Amino acid sequence: MDNYEAIQALHKSLPPFSPYVPASLLPSIALILLASTFALAFYFSTLPKDTFPLRETAVASLASVLGGFGVVALFCSVGVNV
Amino acid sequence: MARRWRTLPLLLVTALAPSFSLAGLAFENTAIVRTIELGGSLVHVSTTYAVKALEPGQTTYQIALSKVERAKTSWLEAKVKGRTTPLELSEDESSTEHLLSVSLPKALAVNGTLNLVLETVQTHATHPFPEQAAQKEPQLLKYKTDLFTISPYTTLVQRTKIKSLAPNVISYTTPHDVDSFVRDGSVTRSGGTITYGPYHDIQTDTDFVAKYQQPVSVHYSFDHPVLEVKTLRRIAEISHWGSNLNIEDKIHLHNAGPTLKGHFSRLEYQSQNYHRKQASHILSDFALHLPPGVTNAYFYDQNGNVSTSHLRTAPSVAKGSKAMQYSVLELRPRYPVLGGWNYSYTIGFDTPLQDSVGYDAKNGIYMVGVPVMTNIPGTVVNDAEVKIILPEGAINVKFVSPFPELSSSMSTHISYLDTAGRPTVTFTYKDLTYKHTGMIYVSYQVPLSAHLKKVMSVGAAFFSLFAFAFIARRVDLNLHKK
Repeated sequence: MDNYEAIQALHKSLPPFSPYVPASLLPSIALILLASTFALAFYFSTLPKDTFPLRETAVASLASVLGGFGVVALFCSVGVNV
Repeated sequence: MARRWRTLPLLLVTALAPSFSLAGLAFENTAIVRTIELGGSLVHVSTTYAVKALEPGQTTYQIALSKVERAKTSWLEAKVKGRTTPLELSEDESSTEHLLSVSLPKALAVNGTLNLVLETVQTHATHPFPEQAAQKEPQLLKYKTDLFTISPYTTLVQRTKIKSLAPNVISYTTPHDVDSFVRDGSVTRSGGTITYGPYHDIQTDTDFVAKYQQPVSVHYSFDHPVLEVKTLRRIAEISHWGSNLNIEDKIHLHNAGPTLKGHFSRLEYQSQNYHRKQASHILSDFALHLPPGVTNAYFYDQNGNVSTSHLRTAPSVAKGSKAMQYSVLELRPRYPVLGGWNYSYTIGFDTPLQDSVGYDAKNGIYMVGVPVMTNIPGTVVNDAEVKIILPEGAINVKFVSPFPELSSSMSTHISYLDTAGRPTVTFTYKDLTYKHTGMIYVSYQVPLSAHLKKVMSVGAAFFSLFAFAFIARRVDLNLHKK
């Protein structure tokens, strides 16, 4: 087992954690992304029914990805840090 | 840098018995002074050995503790008097006692002297006597120990000082049959300090112990509540997305003082409060020192939120730097905890993740430091379990505890937006005191794909809704053909 003091010194010297997205921006990001998801979902509902649903798939995928990030940001901004 | 003591290799070395008599020739104790500071649930014992080497090239000094005393001791540290770095200790158990082998900082020549200090904290060493006390009566405790400090080597002079915080000591045992070692009185008392000794020319071998060793007990008054935390369940949850470390403690607090005789009189309690003469064994409130930068603190019990608390936060400090100020959380339980009563509650708080987690960008390794417990002043924690919940998808998990744990294990914890579950490291401990507030360090790696797992799982849920809508639009549910 490694020397405890060495591990403690290592922990002290490492640069601190920095998140991908700063925590203070999370509420605004949640709002923007979820609003976009809602808008895209509405747009999806107005799309014509094509045989090869390229547009529908594209809009649905984009809305899902934005919704994914938006929900995670929403959870973190209300205090449920996932 | 000396490693702190390890107790894991507790070898039953019966072969140590003959070597015990041989070890007696290597050193001589010119003086041993044992100072016992009496408390409630914690008792501090500090023993100073003035050592003289009789043989050259000695690098190990042996300290003996009786089995009863070792069972009560939950923290040990040996160092040279005046220095701060602890010395390396290893423990062996013989049929009659425990031997601690202290590695001396450098070898002692013949007639070389050294002052070693062994500091210990004993838990569950006192008991209330009388066992029951009414609300107004004082709290009296009894502490028992052996009269002579045992050692494998000859001791020229030794004394034991027992100090009580409050000056009124009700009674103390007068030793018998010690005239052959005594020049002045065998025991003296001055205020709250009782001195047994000085006793001269002691060699604590088995015959001596059988003939002269005797228990002495001190009956004293103690003016603070004797508190025990029966169980502590600590959960530390790390969130990379929220950049947050949440620590939650579920505590079962017990007042281990004399049990309440009669009934609890609220009137009596209020009048005591009003006259500022509250009985010493009632716990009405206490303060915790939380890390700086604490936010979102909560305090609730089975009935719901407990509003009688006050948090004063200190500004956050950078990781690893010494905190100048701690956040103070003053808690007042829902009811005053009298002798024999219990109170269970949950407290929790959030701290920014950058204060606890470091990131090694080259190897992609995160390292977190989580304190084992937050000390409640004057308490002993009988049974503690610390769980550290790592982010989902953490791999290569390595951990180290500041002092030996009873057990450690890994499991999976499922929480919000989880698919596979979060790896969890669990440690169990017992008999923790304020000396055991060190940090547990865990290192782990989280690849980017694991970070995005949550996002993708929520996205997949959204996409399934869109897929359902896609199909639903194309299904004709008309009853009549148009």
